[in-house]
Amino acid sequence: MSRVLPYVGFLALMVVAYVLLAAGKPIAVAGLFLVSGFAVGSLYALGGIGLVVLYRATGVLNLALGAMGALGVMVAWQLQQVGVPQWITWIAALAVAIALSLFYGRYIAPLLAWRDPVVKAVATLGFALIVLGVTAFAWEDDVRKFALPTDALAVRILGLRVTITRMIVIGAAFALVAGIWLYLERTRTGLQMRALANNRDISAMIGVRILRVESIAWIIAGAIAGFIGLMFGDLVRLEPVVITFMVIPSVAAAICGRLDNLGLVLIGGLSMGVVESLLTLSPLLKSVRPVAPYLIAAVVLLLMQRNTRLLFAKD
Amino acid sequence: MGRILTTLAVSAAALAAPHFARAESHGGAPMCGANTGEAASGEPIKVGGIFGNAAPGDFSSATDSAKAYFDCVNANGGIGGRPIEYLTENDQWNPELAAQAATKLIEDENVVAMVGNGSFVEMSVNAPRYAEAGMMAMASACAVSECFESSNIVSTNQGPLPSSVGAAMYAVEELGATNVACIGLAIPSVGNWSCGAVEEYMGSKGLSGSSVLLNPAAPDVNSGLLEAISNGADSILVNLPAGLGIAFLGVAQEQDLGEAYSWTSSTPLYDLSVPGALGEYWDGKLYVSAELTKLDGEGADNLNWKAVMDGYAAEDDPRDTFSQSGYLSAKFFVETLMEMDPATLDDRAAVTEAIKGITGKTSDLICGTYYVGDADRHMPNHAGIMVVVKDGGFEQVRDCFEYEGPYFEPLIETEKALGLR
Amino acid sequence: MDLLKPTRSGTVGIVFAVLGFVFLPILASGQWQQILTSATCFTLAASGVAFMYARLNMVSLGQVALMGVGGWVMLRMNHWLDLPFEVNLAVAGAVTMAFGWVLALPALRMRGLYLALITLMAAGGLEVIFSTFRFPNGGEGFWGVMPSVAAPFRRPVIAESDGAYLRYVIAVTLLGFLVIEAHRRMAPGRAWAMIRKSEAAALASGVNITYYKAWAFGLAGLLAGVAGGLLAGGLGLLDAATFRASESIMLFALAVVGGARLWLGVVIAGVLYRVLPALFNNWSLDADLTLVIFGAALLHALITAPDGLSGQIFGLFGKGRRS
Repeated sequence: MSRVLPYVGFLALMVVAYVLLAAGKPIAVAGLFLVSGFAVGSLYALGGIGLVVLYRATGVLNLALGAMGALGVMVAWQLQQVGVPQWITWIAALAVAIALSLFYGRYIAPLLAWRDPVVKAVATLGFALIVLGVTAFAWEDDVRKFALPTDALAVRILGLRVTITRMIVIGAAFALVAGIWLYLERTRTGLQMRALANNRDISAMIGVRILRVESIAWIIAGAIAGFIGLMFGDLVRLEPVVITFMVIPSVAAAICGRLDNLGLVLIGGLSMGVVESLLTLSPLLKSVRPVAPYLIAAVVLLLMQRNTRLLFAKD
Repeated sequence: MGRILTTLAVSAAALAAPHFARAESHGGAPMCGANTGEAASGEPIKVGGIFGNAAPGDFSSATDSAKAYFDCVNANGGIGGRPIEYLTENDQWNPELAAQAATKLIEDENVVAMVGNGSFVEMSVNAPRYAEAGMMAMASACAVSECFESSNIVSTNQGPLPSSVGAAMYAVEELGATNVACIGLAIPSVGNWSCGAVEEYMGSKGLSGSSVLLNPAAPDVNSGLLEAISNGADSILVNLPAGLGIAFLGVAQEQDLGEAYSWTSSTPLYDLSVPGALGEYWDGKLYVSAELTKLDGEGADNLNWKAVMDGYAAEDDPRDTFSQSGYLSAKFFVETLMEMDPATLDDRAAVTEAIKGITGKTSDLICGTYYVGDADRHMPNHAGIMVVVKDGGFEQVRDCFEYEGPYFEPLIETEKALGLR
Repeated sequence: MDLLKPTRSGTVGIVFAVLGFVFLPILASGQWQQILTSATCFTLAASGVAFMYARLNMVSLGQVALMGVGGWVMLRMNHWLDLPFEVNLAVAGAVTMAFGWVLALPALRMRGLYLALITLMAAGGLEVIFSTFRFPNGGEGFWGVMPSVAAPFRRPVIAESDGAYLRYVIAVTLLGFLVIEAHRRMAPGRAWAMIRKSEAAALASGVNITYYKAWAFGLAGLLAGVAGGLLAGGLGLLDAATFRASESIMLFALAVVGGARLWLGVVIAGVLYRVLPALFNNWSLDADLTLVIFGAALLHALITAPDGLSGQIFGLFGKGRRS
């Protein structure tokens, strides 16, 4: 029961937001905002999933997620300009992000392995600045657009045209949640990853090859970062700074899943998008609607510790 | 009205006589200052310029072109034999750096004036400083209200307000709009200010208008579009920086609203890389208000601007509206200095007085007359042209026209007082 | 521990501050007076993050956002009532301290990363608020924003010029450091030390954990508020871009780089945060490349200097003395 409760909570949040903000409006209008909210929320969720997958396996909250994706999608855009077939450019974007992620995981993260989780997270910010700086230097500020062939196809949901690209984002979020769950539950490296997440020292003692398992986690995280870069580059904006700092609302989505539960990250991210979008209907609150993700995350953090007494553990 | 007619006549003449114009610019060789062909060697006159260049935007093209023009002047006799030493600083969109840059130029370097400034933050921070120091800033790439509503800054470009009102006028007069939704940035001195003036204009015509404000960092532009639709608009005016504007038009395309509404935009989308980024969908659908005349114009000043850029600027310096604007500010500034008493060129107060005395300057780069005058606000440029996105480029659809609306009334009074009308 | 007895490092610090007070305004050009004023303001704010991290092992990723709150109140007061600078500064500090407490409420039972994240969420929320409503510049109404040029800002009567204002800011910052040091030597400091060692032990020995943690948050908020108010006085106005959530993360990172335990570390943080970018700008280094250098320096310092640069510097002198 208590496992289902948070899911119910997020659903209830969306329903309450709908009732409070959109009740008086015709369904034709409210429906548009609702669907649009899911579309935005799926972006938050995707970012959150990318963060949590890596955090679970390595204890690193990767603030460079967006920066890696941004460099990936810029490379893809550049290749498209010189006429490289699209599918190769997509692979290139993933490859760039994987390479960056693996580089950090292999050569930098181990040097900080014994520091506070916060210091590890802050170190990834340093890496993010380097990647962002290089990206912004290589691609001077200009007007660019990155498009995918799936942008042209769309279906209508509650009156809103939803492109296949957006469907892919939502689909990928669900698929990632399911796929990562299967991987962790059913494979040997998945099991080792869970062990590593629980206790690094003991895992090493019982013979888990930490470096190898962590490298796999960094590769997966890099691939997700590359995918996020492609999607954000298409659906948000092809601007490295914007994509890089999308990581902050993504952290909010990750918090919804307590940095641990991918299913909750997904529904939490979706509800953040829905609330934010529905707030447009409130004349009073519409100008501050981007606060919604942070507010929801703060409430989640509050509720998370409601039942716990003082924590005596180190962390 | 007389002014419009003269400007129309001037631009018509420029269009009708391209050969004459070419001949005037020596078939590609730039004309600068005294045009003596001899390098200036006297004691330099210090002039400052502040631009913003850091992610997410680069406003340096105005100072680039001003620098190119000054270099050209220095190679052609300078100001009575004295070269201009042009000192530029980057504010990196950081208000503290902007203030520090101004202090460095005003106090430490003791420049006589600022020319070519282009930034989002510099003007709001430094406007009081310029007033305090008794110096003028002849800016070229302004984007915030403080730049236009201050005593010691005058900008050659229009900024978001006039250019949005121009777009709204075109939507009303040519595209049959009765309810314009102005999509702006949720920044009081940018979006609220400029979209507010659009609402006022619509109100003055007995039509309705609304503002939809987007948070600059928010990933979600969808709900802004939906808000515009639910406001009952029949015409949408995109008044956003280029990147965000493209994203906004992207979601509009996603909803396939290109035909259902009429679409206009303020100047940021008048950039040669925009049509390519927008794609075929917007071909013939998006009308953009341009604050200066066309980049490929055949007027004497436009050709000279290109020649100066080719001769004195780096190859990868952008050739855009801000570049035209920086060139023009620098040119007017040099003309002003050359008319001054050479003995007072290092006297900031004298230079300020000379700049404030500028009146009745014309160029084929701007539709109206450029003037400064002694006033609390300066917005000489409030007439422009309209272009449409066409075949991967832009096509002019309306020649110079003057913007209307309550906001411009005090300016028109000033112009009457100066005898410009 | 005697409340007034100076430590060796403390004496050096006071001498350092006095030297800065006397000589910096004389030696620095107009531009550098402003740069150093900014750097000193951020040093004061960083001192709040640093003592929370060093004394309580609590990480705040919202300090710059709290500075924004202080700066907002400062400007609001300045354009509202005709009160002296010091009164406005006190109000700015007090309001931000209250903000710190509000932030502390959910954070009291949290540690480590979760605590850091809740402060980051606060910073993210404040970023949106600041960029939407901007900072008062003398306009009408509660938000006080008008489209034309900002109304004049009243600096302290004794520090109207940039040079005098730099002195003023240095003096206030020194005062802030002394307040922290006094706390360390009195009851709160002992309670914090106990809490840091073990919350269970602290609880068992009768330390009111909630009270002292909230106290720490309040103090950090106060320092941020005063720093924000002083920063507002430096420019006469503020811009939302200064207080982004990423800046708050940056300030914490630099406090770690400098070394949170020592006053020198906090000064280094302020210098890295504001003087280094200004230097890069003076050298006309591409702004994008300065990001790269900054990021690389951050990583390098985090990896090679666990006690921060100040730890290395003091270590050097320590070795020199022994040999």
